Amino acid sequence: MAEFSTSVKDQGDVSLLYLNGYLDAHTASILENNFSDLIAKDKFKIVVNFKDLVYISSAGLGVFMAFIEKIRENNGDIKLTSMSDKVYNIFDLLGFPLLYEIYKSEDEAVKKFEETNKLEK
Amino acid sequence: MNLKSIRIKHNIKLQLFLISAGLLFIYKMFFYADESFLLLILNEIIVFSTVLFMVLYANDLFSEKKFTPMSLVMNLGILCAVIFLAVLFSDSLLPALFGKISDTLKNPDFFFKIISFLYVLFFAAIVSQLFLIFKELHFLKQKRSSSIYFTTMVWFFLFASITSVLDFFPELSYIKNTFFIISVILIIFNSIKISWIAFITKKEKLSLLLLSVIICTLFFVNLFGSSDENSHYQVISGFSTSLGEFYIIIMIYGAAYFAVLFFTTLFHIPTAEAFDRKAQEVSSLQYFSKLITQVLDFNELTETITEIALKVSNADAAWIVWKYERVLKPIAHRNIGYLDAELINDYIFRNKSFVETSSSFIQSLEKFEKRSQLNEPYSKVLVAPIETHNEIRGYLAITKKGDFIFDDEDKSAIDTFSDYASVAIENARLLEESIEKERLEKELDVAREIQRKILPSKDPVYEKLSVSSVFIPAFEVGGDYYDFFEMEDNKFGFIIADVSGKGISAAFIMAEVKGIFESLSKIIESPREILIKANQILKRSLDRKNFVSAAYGLINFKREVISIARAGHCPLLLVRDGKVDNIRPKGIGLGLNYGDQFQLTLEEIELDLRDNDMIVLYTDGITEAKNIDMEDFGETKFEKILLDNSEKSADEISNEVIKEITQFSKHNIQHDDITLVILKWKQKLKIVSLGKAPSLDGMERKNGRIQHLS
Repeated sequence: MAEFSTSVKDQGDVSLLYLNGYLDAHTASILENNFSDLIAKDKFKIVVNFKDLVYISSAGLGVFMAFIEKIRENNGDIKLTSMSDKVYNIFDLLGFPLLYEIYKSEDEAVKKFEETNKLEK
Repeated sequence: MNLKSIRIKHNIKLQLFLISAGLLFIYKMFFYADESFLLLILNEIIVFSTVLFMVLYANDLFSEKKFTPMSLVMNLGILCAVIFLAVLFSDSLLPALFGKISDTLKNPDFFFKIISFLYVLFFAAIVSQLFLIFKELHFLKQKRSSSIYFTTMVWFFLFASITSVLDFFPELSYIKNTFFIISVILIIFNSIKISWIAFITKKEKLSLLLLSVIICTLFFVNLFGSSDENSHYQVISGFSTSLGEFYIIIMIYGAAYFAVLFFTTLFHIPTAEAFDRKAQEVSSLQYFSKLITQVLDFNELTETITEIALKVSNADAAWIVWKYERVLKPIAHRNIGYLDAELINDYIFRNKSFVETSSSFIQSLEKFEKRSQLNEPYSKVLVAPIETHNEIRGYLAITKKGDFIFDDEDKSAIDTFSDYASVAIENARLLEESIEKERLEKELDVAREIQRKILPSKDPVYEKLSVSSVFIPAFEVGGDYYDFFEMEDNKFGFIIADVSGKGISAAFIMAEVKGIFESLSKIIESPREILIKANQILKRSLDRKNFVSAAYGLINFKREVISIARAGHCPLLLVRDGKVDNIRPKGIGLGLNYGDQFQLTLEEIELDLRDNDMIVLYTDGITEAKNIDMEDFGETKFEKILLDNSEKSADEISNEVIKEITQFSKHNIQHDDITLVILKWKQKLKIVSLGKAPSLDGMERKNGRIQHLS
């Protein structure tokens, strides 16, 4: 079966989550665990980097839906960045750009978080 | 038959014994102490046959039973003690009854004859019993070839006993003496061959050490108590010299045998523990190898492994360190607390210098800085890897307290044992896997069955519209759904949807989606309205992580228009005038948003239909079909096939598409359901399409502009 892996990095109070490989019904649980861990650590500002993601299935998309409500309730957000055209197309078809902020680069997403931080203060 | 003949033989021996005993009694009544040599010979012959038949009869009774060495030794001891007591008793009682025995023997009265007869018979019985037990002991754990030594010895016993008759002629006593000395030599020779001693446990050896001293002493006492001054011996040898001689020989044999036994046991004591352990190890491994074919539950198995590891190794505590996603955790800890096991784990396995090893090793805890935190003073840990398919799955750890050390024996025992354990664990895992696989396959069968029943069984037939649908399920049910709704007032509705996820859960959602659309299509006409309503209904039942992409369309035959709304689904394709257009009105997937946003963004478009127009509905199973290099079939290829074959009938075109996809992905498995629906309009058409866009206040209005399709 196709491989999938993730890695997490902290940048200030923003968590950067990097996806790699094929995200489908079989590998979705890995990403679910990542989100659960972050939420358990009260980290609600999450930027997901799709740079190395080759494929995402509907089950993979479902993972984002499963956690977004809880994260937004805690004044956080999941921002998506660096998608390939193919992956973006899948998100786009389903109307994800209406529900999630999708950025070209990681920096933009992080900056956006910082701006909201300032506004809150 | 066999049993019967044995019983008859038994009876014959018993009868012969009784006859000769009776004969002996009668003989003794007439000639008790005759001076004639011939009569003496006759006396000995009768005594000999009496004892012989007694031994033979007793031997038959004896050989039917199985004895352990310890029970035989105990029997010997008891018989020897009986002799000792009898001698003690008779030495005081006999002279009291009959005066000086040597005198009485010369002129015995009837009472003495009866008493001495019974007394001798009793002794003969005990001595023959002793002899039989010695024989049994000798052959215990002994190889067959050694029987010759014992047989020779027995023959010399007989010679020595019988030739004692020659004492009648003092000058011939050297013959008896020679046989007697040879007998003693043979006794010593035979006594050395004690092979059963190695097979008894250490505890038994210790008690044997004490027993052999006692029994040896008893034999010696009995031996030295058998002198010519002794009333008891006088009675026996006066009755029959050879029997008296045989009695003495047996006492010597007993004394020698137990003296040797004492030393043999003494020399075996140091190795007793090692021997015990080896025996324990072998039986544990046998037990375990039997067990591994029976215990298939992982937890139960690991508990069993540590339990037996303790037995095999004589250690104080044992546990298994199991790899759970690269983290080693202690499980099945026995005789050790979880915290202790965890602390030791930390020290050994989470040490930076620890490298995964496929051979066992011994780790000392002396330099362990947290050793004082342990509840028990464990000092050494022996670790053996549990390996399956060259992959280390975990470790078996055993530990000892105090100053004990693990030696090479322990190490090799645990090595062997962990090999067994690895096989057992692998077996359990494979079984679990196959059960899980079977369960999954059954589940998928159910899911496919649900899906098959949900999808339309045949395509609808219209004068103006030909419909062709193909559905190819993936092994893991993908959740594709399409349906047709034939309405009464010249209208035709259709839906195509893809439920997120796979398998049985997707199949259930599909069933629900079908129910929703079937009901809604009867009461609502507008595709947009239907999707909005469906989204609201799904809110009640759909999990947060599940969603459904769908596109709903309605063809009005009278007006010759088609209206379409799309909720996150792949675009519909319109093939017209040698061009393929994506029909992609805005819309979010069902179940992704239950607020206003879904309703606000959802568009509905309307197109006029023209002759030869072809509307294609599909799911991503087509465009994402993969070839061997994991490349997608893709939209371009798909559109080209549609264009190239657009002149053909709907059925022919769908056949063509499926053929191409099958060809493309023939070396790869089908990951997702494939659904393709082709609608062909045979009449004129013109574009006067109208779209419905939502207004921000949620009110609908027709914007009247021509929808540009691109």
